This record gives sequence, structure tokens and C-alpha cells, in this order.
Amino acid sequence: MKSEIIYKYLSNEASEQEILTLFEWIEASEENKKQFITIKKTWVLTALSEDISVNSTPVIKIKPKNKAAKYLQYAAVILVLLGLGKIAFNFNYKTKHSKEIVLELGNGQTEYITKNNHSNLLNNKGEVIAKKLHGQIVYFGKVKDNEVLYNSLKIPYGKTFKVILSDGTVISLNSGTTLRYPEQFGVNGKRTVYLTGEAFFEVAKDKEHPFIVNANEVDIEVLGTKFNVNAYPETSIVNSVLVEGSIRIYETASPSNSALLKPNQMATWQNGSNKITTKSVDPSFYSAWTKDELTFKDTPFSTITKIIQRTYDVEIINKNSDLAKQTFTGTIKISESSVKNILELLKRDTPFDYTIKENTITITNLP
Amino acid sequence: MNSNTSFESNKFESFKKGDEAAFTYFYDKYFRRITSFNVQFIYDQQEAENLTQEAFINLWQNRENIESINGIQSFLYTYAKSKCLNIIRHNKVKDKFKNDLLNHTERELNIEVLNSIQFDTLELTELERIINESINDLPPKTREVFIKKRFENKKNAEIAEEMQVSLKAVEAHMTKALKILRTKLSDYLFLIFILIYNN
Repeated sequence: MKSEIIYKYLSNEASEQEILTLFEWIEASEENKKQFITIKKTWVLTALSEDISVNSTPVIKIKPKNKAAKYLQYAAVILVLLGLGKIAFNFNYKTKHSKEIVLELGNGQTEYITKNNHSNLLNNKGEVIAKKLHGQIVYFGKVKDNEVLYNSLKIPYGKTFKVILSDGTVISLNSGTTLRYPEQFGVNGKRTVYLTGEAFFEVAKDKEHPFIVNANEVDIEVLGTKFNVNAYPETSIVNSVLVEGSIRIYETASPSNSALLKPNQMATWQNGSNKITTKSVDPSFYSAWTKDELTFKDTPFSTITKIIQRTYDVEIINKNSDLAKQTFTGTIKISESSVKNILELLKRDTPFDYTIKENTITITNLP
Repeated sequence: MNSNTSFESNKFESFKKGDEAAFTYFYDKYFRRITSFNVQFIYDQQEAENLTQEAFINLWQNRENIESINGIQSFLYTYAKSKCLNIIRHNKVKDKFKNDLLNHTERELNIEVLNSIQFDTLELTELERIINESINDLPPKTREVFIKKRFENKKNAEIAEEMQVSLKAVEAHMTKALKILRTKLSDYLFLIFILIYNN
């Protein structure tokens, strides 16, 4: 409601009365004022852009970014989707609380991250090490190696979040994900983070300090430029997909068991067999969620339900045997769809019946 | 955006050597953008254009000190920013409202907005990329409304008619576009902040 007035104001279409209300709102708190300033800044700076026309189609895929995207400090973009088989970090929260994003600090303290608590994050010594903003945390600074402390973020179902580490690495975290990372990286040594769930990494380039994602029983080492990594939780598999540059994936316990990836290749790790295999893929498919999309390509219904459960924080019980065997192909805009929309869409292909009771959806055969 | 093409590099070299045709090239490229930036703060098209002219004259006089192509934009914006600030501080902006309190508040806010923008060359190039990408990523309808409004300067009613939607829908799309852009840009602006902080 407020942003509608702000927008009217910026495009000179607001009445004096509306502007009065708007200014009162702005003056009411620092928070409001900051928000307004950011919006106006966005507004005046969009006048910077050129070469944009209505006719060019929006790009969903990861674009070849040779000239367009000078990723500057970001040498590597990784997507990691991980097995839930091994929960690396134990948060002692009751499921009741699981609707909030939880941050665990180096000293063991925990806090919830809610929408509107923009504030600074202090370390043990009371120094500011990060800023909490809307939907994200931004860390900065460096410490001596023996002082590296780890923080953890736990993202519940139905939410996503972003963390920017002290080296400038940007990590988007998908629903149902836990990430453990140093609150400040050390001066020497490797940059290691631990992941359970799914994440998209844009790793800051720093040859001296290799960036390593530890996931399940493998480590993924960033050797340079851009790549995706991804894995399927339900099968204890880790998949990593390379977009550009190179990554090395290896068994943590036995680093010689490894694979070096070329662009547009995917490496697959299988728990149990401990084998790493590679094949060619389209990387954009695996990072669609970071663009607010769910993409399916001959995806089994069982996999789709798992993804929907995470994305929308619902429970799906499938009692329809036909559906269980079906596969689907398509793309869904996450923010513009609801579980109901999606089910209605699937129904057109394969008729079924369903009931929604609170957060539980039960799918049955047609009566 | 693709400012580092060899074509532009040549233009830039000529510009530095005092080639007027090369200067005209950059003038045509940036004039509208700098002017629309100015208008957002001084609310007078004529005055805004004068200011842009002035910025270009200064650019020409200082051409030997500009180190890179991106330095041109950075110079122009920095100049525009400080001029806008001056004009606001000296109460030279025409009063928009009958209510003087509104005029005063608006001035204060504009000063804060201007002060919050930094125009180093790195920021501008990267910013442009982010803005282009963010706009491309908007949902199609929202994107169309945003572009018509923002780059083609159309009125809501015109957009509504062109797109065969209600006025309310146009407003809703704009609100949505701003919300999305705000989250994307704040990410970026904070990255810049960190870069500066760390160095």
C-alpha cells in the first residue's frame, strides 16, 4: 500500500494529500526513511539503463556472460543441492519454531531472523561483523586463522534467504537448507563452508584461498570461474553442474577419488557406491530456483511433490497410483503460483482429485 | 553496457585528443540519461538540460584527466550530483507544493538520496549490468509496464489502454516492479559498501 503511494509520488501522479501522508510515514521511523531512500535511488538510477526494449524476451536461462557479465569479484557460481541423508548440524529447535530462519552464532547463541529486524551482528568482542537486512545477511572483515568462528543459518520450508560472506561470496539458500560458514574468513588457508540442502554460490575470486563446499561425503573445490553444483536429497546423491571454468569434486575421506568438470557437465556422487560419474547437461535447468522458477523435465511426480513441499511449506500425501508413475515437463513461476495452481495444472494432464486441509494436501483417484 | 568495445575505445582515444565528433558521440549517448537524473531532483526539464550541458562543457575541459571510457559517465554523474546538491541547498528548486512543510521535507529527502549515491566507475558499470538484468528478470507483464513507464515516459492511462488492462493493474505492476528492483539493487549497493569498507 505504501509503495503504491511512493510510486505515484515518484512518477508525479500523487496528490498533495497523498504526499503529506507519505512524508508523515517517512518521518515516522528511520526504517521507513531508509526504505524510501532506497526506492528513490532505484528510481533515479534506472534512468541509467539503456538497450532495453519490450520485445526482447526475458531470459530465464543462465546466459553466456562473456562480455555482459563481468562478474568482477565473482569468479565462480555454484549451485549445490544436497542430500538430506546426513544432517550435519543439529539445531535443537522444536518443529513449532521451524517457520523462522534461525541463525546460530560462533558462541552458540541463536536468534531468529524475522522480516524487519535490520540490525548489526556483533562478534564475541562486540565488533560489528555483519549487517542483517531484508532477506539477507552481509558479513565483512577478516580474522587471524586461529580465531575463525563458524555461524550457521537454517532456512525453513517455504522461505529462501541470502548470505554474503566476508570475502564477498554470495550464497542464495533455498528452502529447507542449512549452511555453516565462518563469520569472518581467516587470513590464510582455505575457505570452507558446509551445506545441507540447496544453494547457489557466487564465489569471490581468490586463488590464494580455495573455496570448498563440503556436502554430504564430498568436497567441491572451486578452481575458477562459474559452475553449478546440485544433488538430489531423496537419493543421497550430490550432483554438481559446471557453467564455466572448472571445479573439482572429491570424496572428503579419500581425495584421490575425484572428478574434474568441464563446462556443461554434471558430476554425480552416489552414497554407498562412492562413485563419481560425469555427463553432459544444460546447467540452466539446475539453477532455475534462483530465478524464482521450478523447472521439470520428465520429472517423476514423486520428485515434484518433494520440491513443492519444500518450496511452499506444505505436506503432500499421494494416494493416486497412476500419478506416482507419471512424469511431467514444464516451468512454474514460484512467486506467481500457489500449490493449488500447480495441482490444477497437473490435473489437466492426468485427472485426479485432491483435498486441502490446512497445510496437508491429499491426492486421490477420481471418484 | 558494452562500453569496452573497440569502437568505443577508439572514440574515447579521439575524444581525449580533442576530436569533437568523438565528443558528440558521448554527448548523444549520455545527454538524456544525465538529464533525466537531474529532473528527479530539481523538477525542471529546462534547468535539468542546462545542467547537463554544463556537465558536458566541464567534461570537455577536463578530458585529459579522464582515464577510461567509464570515467566519462562517472564524471558526468558526479558533476550532476554535486550541482543538484548545490541547487537544493541554496533553495533554488522551485516550490512544488502549496504546503511549505512538504517542500522542505522533499528537499531534505533529496539531499539524503543524493548523498547516498556514489558514482565511481566500477559502480556504474556494474550497476548498469545489475539494473539491466533485474529488469530483464521481471515477470513479462510487469516488465512491459515498467519499461513503458520508465523509459518511454508514458502515463498510466496510456499504458492501461495500450495493454488493455485496468489502471489499477498498471499501478499494481509498477509497485511490484519497484519492490523487486529494490531487493535486487540493495544487494548490490551493499556489496559496493563492503568493497569500499574492506579496502
